Amino acid sequence: MNEDAELLQRIRAGATDEFGILVRRHQQRVFGILHHYERDAQRLEDLAQETFLKAWRALEQFDGRAPFEHWISRIAVRTALDHLRREKRRKNEVALPDLGEDVLDWLRSPDDKSELDSRAAAEFLERAMQQLSPGDRVVITMQELQGCSVKEIAAAMGVSSIAVRVRAVRARAKLKQVVEKLSKQ
Amino acid sequence: MNEKKLKQLFGSARTEPVPSPLPGFAADVLAAVHTERRPAAAGSQSTWEHLNTLFPRVALAAVVVIVLCVAADWGLTEAGLPGVSDGVAQATSQYLFNSEDL
Repeated sequence: MNEDAELLQRIRAGATDEFGILVRRHQQRVFGILHHYERDAQRLEDLAQETFLKAWRALEQFDGRAPFEHWISRIAVRTALDHLRREKRRKNEVALPDLGEDVLDWLRSPDDKSELDSRAAAEFLERAMQQLSPGDRVVITMQELQGCSVKEIAAAMGVSSIAVRVRAVRARAKLKQVVEKLSKQ
Repeated sequence: MNEKKLKQLFGSARTEPVPSPLPGFAADVLAAVHTERRPAAAGSQSTWEHLNTLFPRVALAAVVVIVLCVAADWGLTEAGLPGVSDGVAQATSQYLFNSEDL
């Protein structure tokens, strides 16, 4: 039996405080997933807390067939998806903030060899991906930024692998259009 | 925008360091957990929750019973015997709504 399974057994038996150990063990992974969808530190922490609370509420449903980290990752992705849907409704009519000159210069430059700072690239992508639907954004983020397989994305989103493939192609094409449009700003 | 540039963009974004949770994060989660009700154990479900869980099976069983009754009625009628509906009509007229007994 692995460490998580033993811990879960104790938690189910009533050792509620040991859930804290589980949180500490998996918090970095959860933050790693959620920071692709929310850059504000406070809101990121709220989302991470929401993820662990959802896990707590559904603990009885975890059957232990897959590792706990896979299960908690799926909950994090679904929490991110809910968050994006809420944000989409709220921000629907808000214009995109101005992009930094560095990013625009890099985008317009024909030079393929220069590198863009990781933070600037992530911020730019975050803004560009705001133009995608929440589902498309999750698919492209998991595929391109988290390096997940189609099967993993399908399992996390609760859809078929074919649906993920179709969505990935469509999302990528849309993102390319958005990036092109932004670079002409 | 060419494909290579988009890939570079993803590549750079991928290397962005992941923000670490604050030291008290796990304690905060635990505090929130303590204010919640403990997850219900499988054996402590209410009758209503049981019924909710069983609803699809109950509905299916009801459909099966209805289909069996219709099939039996049709079969008995075809065989020249009094069907279920005939039996019900007879019982109704003889016992339940017999005006002479009222």
